[in-house]
Amino acid sequence: MRAIPAVRAARGGLSGRRVQAMVIGLVLLVSTAASTLALGLLVDSNSPFDKAFAAQRGSEVTATVRATTAQLAATAHLPGVTAAAGPFPETTITANVPVTPPPGHPAAVATVPLAVVGRPSAGGPVDDLTLESGHWPAQPDQIVLNNIRLPGEAIGTQITVTGVPGSPHLTIVGFATSITQTAQAWVLPSEVAALRAPGAPDVSQMLYRFSSAATGSEISADVASVRAALPHGAVLGAESYLVVKLEDTSSIAPWVPFIVAFGVIGLVMSALIVANVVSGAVVAGTRRIGVLKSIGFSPGQVVASYVIQVAVPAFVGCVIGVAAGNLLAVPLLGQTAQVYGVGALAVPVWVDAAVPLAMLGLAGVAAVLLALRAGRMSAVAAIATGRAPRPKHGYAAHRVLGRGPWVRLPRSVTIGLAGPFARPTRTAITLAAILFGGVAVTFGAGLGTSLNRVYNDLSHSAAEPVQVYIPGAPGQNGGPGNSVSVKAAPGSGPGPAVPSLAAQEQAVTAALRAQPGTLHYVAESDDNIRVLGLSDHVSLIGFGGDASWTGYALISGHWYAGGDQADVNTAFLTDTGAKVGAGYTLTSGNRHTTIQVAGEIFDPSGGQAEIIASQSTLAALDPGLSPDQYDVALTPGTSAQAYADALGAKLGQPYQATANGSSSSQFFVIIGLVATLTLLLVAVAGLGVLNTVVLQTRERVHDLGVFKAVGMTPRQTIAMVVCSVAGIGLVAGLIAIPAGIAVHNYVLPVMGHAAQTDVPPSVLNVYHPWEVVLLALAGLAIAVVGALLPAGWAARTRTAFALRAE
Amino acid sequence: MDTLVRLTDVSKSYDSDGAPALAHVTMDVGHGESLAVMGPSGSGKSTLLNLIAGLDRPTRGEITVGGERVDTLSETGLARFRRRQVGMIFQFFNLLDDMTVLDNVLLPAQLAGMPTARARARADELLTALRIGSHRNAYPARLSGGERQRVAIARALVNRPALLLADEPTGALDTATGEEIGELLLDLNSSGQTLILVTHNPDLAARYARRVIEIVDGRVASDAAQPSRTTGARR
Repeated sequence: MRAIPAVRAARGGLSGRRVQAMVIGLVLLVSTAASTLALGLLVDSNSPFDKAFAAQRGSEVTATVRATTAQLAATAHLPGVTAAAGPFPETTITANVPVTPPPGHPAAVATVPLAVVGRPSAGGPVDDLTLESGHWPAQPDQIVLNNIRLPGEAIGTQITVTGVPGSPHLTIVGFATSITQTAQAWVLPSEVAALRAPGAPDVSQMLYRFSSAATGSEISADVASVRAALPHGAVLGAESYLVVKLEDTSSIAPWVPFIVAFGVIGLVMSALIVANVVSGAVVAGTRRIGVLKSIGFSPGQVVASYVIQVAVPAFVGCVIGVAAGNLLAVPLLGQTAQVYGVGALAVPVWVDAAVPLAMLGLAGVAAVLLALRAGRMSAVAAIATGRAPRPKHGYAAHRVLGRGPWVRLPRSVTIGLAGPFARPTRTAITLAAILFGGVAVTFGAGLGTSLNRVYNDLSHSAAEPVQVYIPGAPGQNGGPGNSVSVKAAPGSGPGPAVPSLAAQEQAVTAALRAQPGTLHYVAESDDNIRVLGLSDHVSLIGFGGDASWTGYALISGHWYAGGDQADVNTAFLTDTGAKVGAGYTLTSGNRHTTIQVAGEIFDPSGGQAEIIASQSTLAALDPGLSPDQYDVALTPGTSAQAYADALGAKLGQPYQATANGSSSSQFFVIIGLVATLTLLLVAVAGLGVLNTVVLQTRERVHDLGVFKAVGMTPRQTIAMVVCSVAGIGLVAGLIAIPAGIAVHNYVLPVMGHAAQTDVPPSVLNVYHPWEVVLLALAGLAIAVVGALLPAGWAARTRTAFALRAE
Repeated sequence: MDTLVRLTDVSKSYDSDGAPALAHVTMDVGHGESLAVMGPSGSGKSTLLNLIAGLDRPTRGEITVGGERVDTLSETGLARFRRRQVGMIFQFFNLLDDMTVLDNVLLPAQLAGMPTARARARADELLTALRIGSHRNAYPARLSGGERQRVAIARALVNRPALLLADEPTGALDTATGEEIGELLLDLNSSGQTLILVTHNPDLAARYARRVIEIVDGRVASDAAQPSRTTGARR
């Protein structure tokens, strides 16, 4: 087969059908970009920790060592060591970090223990840190902190290192993430010596990657080889990345299912739309195929000409699409990485190659199959078919819609509504594209509401908008639960002596009763204990009164009603095998008690077993359990912040009244990710509609001329074109509702199981009737918006030009 | 005779550097007149018709139909103008293949918002008068060329336009059928319908038009009244 005539014919076809070429290119661009993103998301969601670990060249073994630089450098060349970084000087410090106090309270500082490593830069052959904000230290008095922040930490904050001569001040200049958390803070290497407390050992950090490090035993063997290469006792400690991976995976796992769901929808939609646009392009060129055959082109040359004609704009679209997909991936995968907490994610290189190849392959196969069919027609048949494509279907629809009760509708509307019946296959593909878009909207809306309820349920911010922290019994670490202690800043004035627990309770309850806006309050006690038969601690939450209003969502059963009843979370039921409605005996040390499990509450607690009951019930297991906070419900219309400020001012130190804010940066990131993914899929669906309408209007441009010649106005033309897909959109939207709800009701429990919890009905049943009605219109909205642009083109088409078209 | 159509120095160019399709055409057409526009292929005949019908816009000049300046109307105005004032018949009929004969004829009336009952009555009247009432539920693909052109004529007349424009109405028909259509147009003109007919066939022009304008290379080469029409054998 001689190729040059086919190439020339293809070039002629491309220049003669620029709009079609542009549509093919645009559709391939958007579909490739969406598929690159979707597949990148799917791949990165399959063990995101592993992806981020590989991307950052994570440290498989982080060793704290004491040896000479030469000895440590030599370990980099041990057999089995594939990469090493260090030695980096290392020390631990205690730093005072200013925190923002409540109004009316004196300036406060948080005393924070930090493991600090001296590194010249964020990058390196091992543990390539992700600098989330700011910059690396450029001078000795600067510090970069791990991205897990405490309140009050911000770029520019100055922290004071205590316990070292001179109490050096360091300015926070950036935040970074290490996938294996090799340190909590970094400074320049020369700074470490000044931060070591007198008498602290001069130790260094070495980071290693090995050829075999997939299992705990391999890691142990690797560490043993390093120990053997160094003087005895040189390796003071060695942490394996597998420990960090275990913790990370449990926190990542809940988010994977919904991202996978969006990714799958995106891939399927993109494939459908590419097949649709290419098939339409070839069908539109049937007459030209006939003309080529009539002047002597062989069927093979005809097919080649058409494949080239499709492949050229498709290739351009794919190349730009891959670039666009990677560009879009930067913010989207950044959001995903934040959700996963892994620092950085990237589109794998093989995805950048596979997606355009797959898209081109799909376009090529569709073009070849349809061009072959047209190529087999006789020249006369192809010319006749292409000149006046007679729709084989749709006659009955026109007849029915021209009569009947809808005759009162404008004629342009009924003509448009009959349009989809002329090409059933194309209509089905367009319906599928809108359906997927509608499913994404329904699923995304429900997911957003569910996640909002999850956060409200877990934070209890709606039920108990104010919390009052008390120092508690002696030995307790009062304050909002973390390992950091907060106290008055030095020089802010003498702190008050801590009263007895009884006096604390009396003071707080008296203040709560007197404070306007108080609706309910209850004392809460928290502790962790070891229980026989369970490998991990059990969290105890004891209430000193009626706490049924404190906002714990029930998955099953009921709130405990005193006596020996208790509520437990899913992890407790899973770990112990206990059942709701049955008893379970707990033994801790020489104490034991039998609880009646009244209900299962929604409180994943990071997979830790949890029991909620009255304080008196739990005191049998933990006599030291005593209140450390009061949970407060407010009367309607009371501002939580104003209430907390007023109460805090009245109580003074050592009490702390805070508004229980429900905002969480991670929550907003997740909601942002859901919204971005939903919008992206809606855009792809809209593009599918645009493509269909462009094909339709170009195929029927002559009919369009006839309509205009007999008096159809531009507005009627727009109505006709929009209605040609509006009906499909409405049907797709109606089907999308149950489908989207089904996806939601499938994915949410999967997410819950990944977080080791069941999901309460309140988190699943999120679709109100009015929301369902609005969501049903999503399909219609996608169709109308997708059709508006080509409808405008159709309206502006000159009548004489349209009538001349064949 | 009142003037229905007036063209004043009308020109139309498709390319800025090419020869104009029409150049400086000035002409009037009175109410009830039948005018044939003749000329060789590419002379600008169809362009002239398209401009009068508002299917295209002149590059310069004025066009007035029924007292309305067609060249200054918006696209919406042109569509409404065509509904009210103009009925068009094309060489290749330009019927909509996926609509029945009745639906094709009803279309201009429905687009104009005519009440359904009135539109149906008018369509039935025309289909009967044009002797295609038995085909009202058929699709155009099943009709002969002559029958299709009758459907097109019925569609063109449904809104009772002041002006009927026919572009090579017999060009796609055999001789006998073409004569039938010609007689039909003659009958319509005899009952007062203003007719402008584009043809390259001098016999057709002689038989069915009272006045002939010849267009050559976009210009009016001649404009002459015909001697008394030869009335052909009528059915």
